[in-house]
This record gives sequence, structure tokens and C-alpha cells, in this order.
Amino acid sequence: MVAMMYNPLRPTPPLRLVDAAPEPSSTAPEAIIRVEDLSIVFDVPRGEVIAVDRVSLAVMPGEFVSLVGPSGCGKSTLLNAMAGLERPFEGEVMVAGKPMLSPRPDIGMVFQQPHLFPWKSVRRNIAHGPRALGKSKTEALRIADDLIDMIGLTKFANAYPHTLSGGMQQRVAIARALANQPRVLLMDEPFGALDAQTRAVMQDNLLELRDRINATIVFVTHDIDEAILLSDRVLIMSAGPGRILRDLSVGLPRPRSSAILTDPAYLALKRDCLDLIRTEGRKAFEQMEAVT
Amino acid sequence: MSTGRHNRATTAGRLSVLVGALSVPAFVGVWELIARSRIVNAVLFPPPSTVAVAVLDWIHSGQFFGDLSASLFRVTVGFLIGTAGGIMLGVLTGRFRLVSSLLSPLFHILRPIPPIAFVPIVILWFGLSEAGKLFLVVWGVFFTVWLATHIGVQKVDRGLVRAALMLGTPRRQMLSEIILLGALPYIVVGLRTAVSISFYTLVAAELAGAFAGIVYRIEIAQQNMQTGQVMGGLAALGLLSFVADRSFAAIAERAVWWR
Ligand SMILES: Nc1ncnc2c1ncn2[C@@H]1O[C@H](COP(=O)(O)OP(=O)(O)O)[C@@H](O)[C@H]1O
Ligand SMILES: [Mg+2]
Repeated sequence: MVAMMYNPLRPTPPLRLVDAAPEPSSTAPEAIIRVEDLSIVFDVPRGEVIAVDRVSLAVMPGEFVSLVGPSGCGKSTLLNAMAGLERPFEGEVMVAGKPMLSPRPDIGMVFQQPHLFPWKSVRRNIAHGPRALGKSKTEALRIADDLIDMIGLTKFANAYPHTLSGGMQQRVAIARALANQPRVLLMDEPFGALDAQTRAVMQDNLLELRDRINATIVFVTHDIDEAILLSDRVLIMSAGPGRILRDLSVGLPRPRSSAILTDPAYLALKRDCLDLIRTEGRKAFEQMEAVT
Repeated sequence: MSTGRHNRATTAGRLSVLVGALSVPAFVGVWELIARSRIVNAVLFPPPSTVAVAVLDWIHSGQFFGDLSASLFRVTVGFLIGTAGGIMLGVLTGRFRLVSSLLSPLFHILRPIPPIAFVPIVILWFGLSEAGKLFLVVWGVFFTVWLATHIGVQKVDRGLVRAALMLGTPRRQMLSEIILLGALPYIVVGLRTAVSISFYTLVAAELAGAFAGIVYRIEIAQQNMQTGQVMGGLAALGLLSFVADRSFAAIAERAVWWR
């Protein structure tokens, strides 16, 4: 089980923070997500905002990769580009060999807010995707019921979203994204709006869930703990314009649970990460000072 | 202490319910007294009893149901056509920039003109036919429903649309489910306003010349100086639009079923 979680193509020394192999990964043919020299620029009333600045990265099939960075650094924009919700200004985003120009059902997305359809019950929310893709009603509901059992909301199958807690709603949103059996699951600060306790439970749930589904996951967060706990790789982004500063492999063994948050090896890893972020943060701050 | 306050509160509550129940009967009673006391001209201000007799005559003569069904037909059919058109175009202008650029300026110019001002031209176009009456009601209802839908569609949570996009929702279903239901709370408010507008325009339509209808009957009675009948007609119209508004409010509450 543990061995399966590791990507055999990317052997990494355990329990240490290391720079992942640099360029070769972005040209490796087996990457499921390839972002090359991607820039995204927004027109705003007073000119332009460069949200993503010449970013390249690659994600291997089955990998769990986190994007970490301060808010406003372009994490959501980068993720939206992988989802096909945002078109490249320059460069290219390829998922499963095809350029992303509009959303595709083999790529699932979970947003910070659950965005459940308020007029549909839990069951029908989850069945929405399969129905939209032309599955029969019976088949779609069967898929939904399986997922409802998996997220432990069997008792709430027929409840409407507004009657559920934030954590439950977000679990439904995850199940809804999984109903189309996506090859890639994109998650944009999915636990960011939850309280600390619920968040910890959700992280454990996601770790379990990950063992059962076959998706590559890209997970956006600004929480270092969350990133290290969940990921095989952590990409650290600079304060805007968004660029990737470092590509770090997390060599911690799996299966993991939030119990490792007190593990000395984990703490060492976190300290290294924080140092990096702090140095970069100071640099960015000084740059800003210099500009103004 | 607390029970005393509680008692005083419930006493005040009961009293206000009682006063509320007596409000209309008391008004009718005072009116009856004043009209009979000859302080006022009884031809212009007939007592409620005279109004009641006029209404009963109206019903017995068999004209009442003809008038009622003529007015109901105009209001209902006009409302349905105006609503269907308003929702359809509201979804299109709310969702598609190009359609909005094409139609919204025109609609914004036409919308503020009171529908009643169209009576003369409607008579030129349609004469005294039923089509002209429906046109006026449809016209009044359409713009209200269109604007409510247009705004509602633009306020649909972008997150819902994105979530639906990510799940592979086809274009058609996006409009007919996500956008339409997302905008429904706004549309329902517009529809309720449109109910009262349909009655305003009905009045204009029937005053412009008709052969049956509640307002038409009021006008005939006025020409014959049958003030009792005029007031009876007003009461019937008031009751009708009251019932329409209340039943619509009840329907609206259930229309947004997920709240
Ligand atoms: N639709 C948009 N229009 C204009 N500017 C935008 C838009 N979306 C994002 N931005 C800007 O792009 C930058 C990156 O935003 P975002 O990707 O949301 O950051 P993050 O998710 O890391 O907080 C921010 O400066 C933000 O203001
Ligand atoms: Mg964000």
C-alpha cells in the first residue's frame, strides 16, 4: 500500500527536504499535467495584472502536488488554467496530452466554497455530473449512493445543502467532483473556510479517500502543515507576480495521518519550508519597498 | 412579575386581533349610518346595503360571470404570455452580451412608458378586439418580468456556473437549469409585481372600450348613474386582485423550494 503511494519514477530520500529533479520532469513524456511558460494577465481598470508569470511545471500520474503561497500570488489562476476555466495569455497547459482551452469532465474541481446546487439534494448534486455526461438516472444515482457511503453521509442523502454544516457541504462537493471519475482532481483551498477541528478531520478523510481513488491531485493551500501532510511534492510560489520558487519533494512515509504533525522529522521539514518562505517573503517585501 | 407581563402582552395581542377583525365591519357600519343620515347625497354615496343589492342584481342578471370570465381571461392569458416572453428574453439578455447590447437599450427606453399611454395606439392597431386588450396586459407584464430575470441571471453565483461547467453540464442544461433556477428568487419577485401590473393594465384595456368585463361594467354603471353598481364593481375588482396577489404569494413561497 505504502509502496503504491510512492511514484517509483521519482525516488526521493525519506524524511528530508530536497529539491526535486529540476527541468527533466517538465519534458518527461509521462507527465499527466504539463504547464509550459504559462503567463496569465488580467486587464484591470488601471492597466494589467500579471497573475501568473512564466510558470512551468509537470505533475506525474497519481502524484499529489500542493501549490503553496501567500494570497494573491496566483495559485487560483494557475489552477483555473489547469481546469480550462482560464485561457493562457502565453504558454501552454496540457492535461493528458491535450491543451486546456475549456473545462473537461475528466478534470474535476473542488473550490474553496462548496458551490453545491442549492435546489438539489445531496444525492442529486452528486448525480449531476454523470447525468450531464449522459448516464441513465439509475446509473447516476447508483454512483451517487456509492460516493455518499464513502464520504459517510448516508443519513443525509436526501438533505438539501443549506441544512448541512460547512464540512459536510465540502465533502459533498468532493464527492460530486469524483462522480465523473476524473483523472485529475484540482482542489482550490478546499478546507480554507473550515474551522481548525473540521479541517483536521477533512485532511484525514482526504488521505483515506486518496487511497481509494485513482486521481492525480493538485491541491492549493496557503497552509504549510496541510501541504506537507498531504503531498508528495510541494511547489512554493512567490508573492505576485506568481512564479514557482521551489519544487520540494516530501519524503515522509505513507500512509500518513495528522498524527505526523508532531513527528520530529516532519517538524524539521516544516522549519526548512518556513525559512524558505520567510526569506522569499522578505525579498518580495523589500522589492515592493524599493518600487514604492 | 414575569407572568404579569406575559398576561399583559397576550391581552394586548388579543385586543389587536379583535380590533383587526372589527375594522372592516365598523367602516361599513359608519358608512351605512352616514349615507342614511342624509348628510351626503345618497345618489353619489349610496349606503353599503344599496351596493349589496346592486351586486346581487348583477349576479342574478347573469352578466356577472360573463364579466368575471372576460376579465380573468385577459389578466391570465396576458400574464402568461408576458411572463413567458419576459423570462425567455431575460435569460438571453442576462447571459449573452451580444443579445443584451442588441435589446437592452430598446427595452430600457420602452419600459418606463406607462402601459396606459399605449391605449390610443392600441385602439388604432387593434380596434376594440380582444387582441388589443391582451397586448396591453402582455406589454405591462413583459418589461417587469424581463428586467427581474435579466438582473437575476446576472446575479447567479459565478461559482455555481463554474462548478456546473467543470461537471460537463451541456449548454442547454446550463441555461434551463443552473441559470434559470439560480435566478428564480429574483424572477419570483418580478412575477409578483407583474400580477398587480396585469390588473392595472386590465383597467386601462377595458376602459378603452370593451363588450364585457368587470371594469367595462363599472364604466356602463357610471354612465347610467348607478353608483351602487360602480362601487360593487370596484369591490369585485379589489377582491379579485387581492385573491390573485395572495395566491401568488403562496405559490412563490413554494417556487423557491430549497429555501
Ligand atoms: N478575474 C480577475 N480579474 C482581474 N484580476 C484578477 C482576476 N483574478 C485574479 N486576479 C488577480 O490576479 C492575482 C492572483 O489572484 P489569485 O490567482 O486569485 O491568487 P491566489 O489564489 O493565490 O490568492 C491577484 O492580484 C488578483 O487580484
Ligand atoms: Mg485563491
